[in-house]
Formats: sequence, C-alpha cells, structure tokens
Amino acid sequence: MGADRAATVSIWSAALAALAILLFIIGAILWNGLGTALSPSFVFGKPQAMREGGGIWPMVVSSVYLSVLTLALVIPLGVGAAVYMAEFARAGRLARLVRFGADSLSAVPSVVFGVFGMVVFVIYLGLGYSLLAGALTLTLLNLPTVARASEEAIRAVPQSYREAALSMGCTRWEMVKKVVLPVAQPGITTGAVLTVGRIVGESAAVIYTVGLFVRKVPWSPFAPAAPMAANIWHMYTEGALVPDWFRVASGEAAFLLLSVLALNMAARMLAAFLRRKMGYSA
Amino acid sequence: MSHVLAREGEERPLLRVGLRSQKSGTGVDEEGHGVKFRLQGLCLYYGKDKILEDIDLDILEHRITAVIGPSGCGKSSFLRCLNRMNDLVEGCRVEGRALLDGADIYHRDYDVTSLRRKVGMVFQKPNPFPKTVYENVAFGPRLYGIRDRDILDGIVEMSLRRAALWEEVRDKLRQPALALSGGQQQRLCIARVLAVEPEVVLLDEPCSALDPIATQRIEDLLAELKESYTIVIVTHNMQQAARVSDYTAFFMIKGQGDPGRLVEYGETGMIFTNPADERTERYITGRFG
Repeated sequence: MGADRAATVSIWSAALAALAILLFIIGAILWNGLGTALSPSFVFGKPQAMREGGGIWPMVVSSVYLSVLTLALVIPLGVGAAVYMAEFARAGRLARLVRFGADSLSAVPSVVFGVFGMVVFVIYLGLGYSLLAGALTLTLLNLPTVARASEEAIRAVPQSYREAALSMGCTRWEMVKKVVLPVAQPGITTGAVLTVGRIVGESAAVIYTVGLFVRKVPWSPFAPAAPMAANIWHMYTEGALVPDWFRVASGEAAFLLLSVLALNMAARMLAAFLRRKMGYSA
Repeated sequence: MSHVLAREGEERPLLRVGLRSQKSGTGVDEEGHGVKFRLQGLCLYYGKDKILEDIDLDILEHRITAVIGPSGCGKSSFLRCLNRMNDLVEGCRVEGRALLDGADIYHRDYDVTSLRRKVGMVFQKPNPFPKTVYENVAFGPRLYGIRDRDILDGIVEMSLRRAALWEEVRDKLRQPALALSGGQQQRLCIARVLAVEPEVVLLDEPCSALDPIATQRIEDLLAELKESYTIVIVTHNMQQAARVSDYTAFFMIKGQGDPGRLVEYGETGMIFTNPADERTERYITGRFG
C-alpha cells in the first residue's frame, strides 16, 4: 500500500515537473516577447542594424517560403514512399531496407544534416546559401517522419474499402488514388502540418544552408534567406550590431511559438473537419 | 426429374437440371436459362492448404443460386473465385477451369478488371466508401470514364431506384454514406455495384449484419434483380436460401484442415424437401453445422 502510494506520488510529480518546465519555458518566452510579437510594425517591419526598432518581416517570409518549398519536395516523396511501403511492398528485403534506412535517418542529429547540406547542396552543387539548399536539406531531415506518419495513415484505412475498390474493377493504382489516399488524407495532412512546425522550428540545419540575417524579403528560391529560428540564434549569439537585439530575438521567439501553436491547432481542426465530411463521427 | 446429385467419386458435371447441351456455355435449363458460369474441377489453394477441391458447378443466368454450408466449408472462398478476389491472398492458386460465358477467367490473357466489372460483389459488412451517397454510386461509372454530369445523375438515380433506396436518400445524395443505417448502407453497396451494369452479382452473406426488416428488404430486392442479373448468394441462413434462391449448392468439409467439397447441387425446392444426400438432409434439418 505504501509502495503503491509512493509510486503514484513520484509518477505524478514527474508528470507535473514536465508540465511545469514546459509552462516555464513558454511563460518566459511570452513574458519577454509577447508585447513585441503582437505589434504589426515589428512583424511586418524592416530589420535594422546599428539602430533600434527593427522588424522581422524578411525572416517571417523566409520561414514560410522555406516551409512551402520543403513541403513541395517532402510530401510527394514521403507519401510516395509510404504508398510503396503500405500498398505495394511485399514483406521482402527491399521493404526492410527502406524501413531500416528511414529509422536510421531519423536518429541522425539535425546539425549533421546541416553540414551535409552545406557540403553537398551549398558547395558541391553550387546552390550557395539559399532557400533551395535549405529546402533540400530539410527534405532529407523530414522525409523519415513524413513517410512514417503517412504510412500509418494509409495502413489505418480499413481493408474493406480496398476490397470494395478492387471488386469494382479498380487497378491497384486506381484503388490507391481514388480510395486509399482520400481516406488517409486527414492523417497525411496532420503529419504535413506537424512537419511545418518542425521546419520553422529547425535551426541547426538551416544555419549552414540558408543564412542567418537578411534585410530584404527573399523572393527567389536561389536567394539567401534567414528563417526565424536561425535568426533568433544569430541575434542571441552574434547580434551585437543590433542595439535592441534582445527585444528582437524575444519578440521573434514569441511570434514563432504562437505561429506553431496556431498551426497545430489549425491542423487538428482541419483533420477533424475532413473526417466529419467523410461521415466519421470524430 | 430435374434434380442433381453430386457425390464424391461420381462423375461430373453435376448439374443435370434438364440441360439440353453439355457444351461449354450453351447449356440451357427447362425454362431456357443459359449457363453463366461453368466450373470444372475447380480447386483452390492458399499456399499449401487446399481450400476447395474439385468443384463442378453450372450457375444459370437470371437465376439466384444460393451457396450454403457450415462455417469454414469454403463457401466465401468459392464466391471469391468467381471474381478473382482470391488473387489478393498471398500464395493463392486455382486449378481447373472457371468459364464465364465460355471464357476461362483464369486464363493468362483474361483481364481481371473487366471481369470484376462484369461480376460485381456485395460484402458481408456494408462497406460504402467514406464519401457522399452520390459519390459512392458514381464511383464505378467515373472509374470507367463517364464524366458527363447529366449522365452520371441519371445513372445514380436509376441505380438507387433499382436498389430500392432512391425514395429514402433522394434528399440525402450529398450527405456522407456512413450516416445511413446499416440496411441502407448495404443497399447503397448494391446500387454501387448495379451502377456499372454488371452481369453477375455476388453477395457474401449480405444480411448477416442487418436486422430482420433490413434483411427482408434485401431479399425482396434480390427477387426483382434476378430479372436482369445472375445472382450468387452465400448465406449461413438456410431459411434465407430457401426463400430467395432458385438453386442451392451445399458445401461441406469432412474435418478440420480438409478442403471444402460440393456435396449437392440442385433446385432449391428439391434440396430443401427431398435432398439426395443424407449429409445435406442432416445439415438442413439442423443436426449439425
């Protein structure tokens, strides 16, 4: 009885500690930066060096642009791999190899991807510090998770739908295209939005491939850019040229945090909406 | 006497329903119904396991053929031989011949997707797609390339009418199919099959998940559908077989691990009132199975 009680108390306190740490971090970020993050002149403003009052608009655009580019690459690749694994691969050596590769890839620290991206995309392929180099690097980084999440969503599609489709005269590919993927779409969409969260939150991999600070909004995928996470790191470590670097970094961090939270909530709502549209109760 | 017996060891083909001709695909019964499916020495294997052995059977067009037998006797597997859904089972192999209108559906050159267009299937558990009622029925026609909105609307309405569902769903065409009741979902699945104008409709225990009223509806529907389609229904419910079918095939296994065999096949009236095989009689009178 006493041991049971002790176990309950310690498990509870562990959970509480985890929650408290999370709340402390979020609280600290918002405490320092919420006021700045909510001001339009900061979010849409031009960055400044040597004087105060700079904004972060090019960084916001960089993060959005990088996310879109990365998704455009990683979703087709990841979903394609997932379709292969879930629908076409027989339980053979190739499937095991692909899965092993994906699992190994997801255990590699992101800074290693950053260095790899710099060597291969930035230098060897001559892309320079650019959104494209970053998107390619982040594609490699996120491919395993996107593929795994999509594979799970595809496997969760009831077998009875596949049978119905095939019995109607669908080929395997028509079955995937017309039934399996539409039914798996809420799951795949959720995975994609969570990936956006990881993309905009990633700093190590983009520091080496995209850039840390820009004054102008990057319009070309070949242009250097400065995603928010990289810029925050830059401000904290090398922001001496910006007199109000702490205000900028804190505001940017709060803005990033709020964006990711909003994105995750939007993803949940979107998935629930899609499922309701299909007639599922939840 | 238009009755059929099939005992192991006896010569095949087993259907002697007054067939005027034994030539493949040209047989006709007393009422002039031709042979739709002719199975000759059909054996089915899943890997090393023999599921069905030596099935000889003629299925007549515009008739309802019921397949009955105890659980595990291979009646569902038999049904899935007719539209090659067994192909999905890894290690599945078929021996013997299965002729649809005289053409061997297991021949290398036979196109499986065109077979499944001709031979539609309704499953045990209603499995409409999680799309709207309309999209479910339009699924097949769209698959075969019909894009014209008016034509699709016409097909959807006609198919739902044939499946005796139109009146109940005419105002719900844009609603999710999963919001319908179980019985409505099953009739929707029938409408989905009818929308591609199949020649044969296979039903695998279509009422086992439905209540008696919904079951009654489906049974009434089958009686109407046989005017236009050849129907094969697997059922574990012998009253249902007796009520709806014209011909009945009784399958059985000797014991665990043995393949299913066709014990007896003939006119439903005869099978249920005067079976030739005592195993059929014992099964029908409820003494086993």
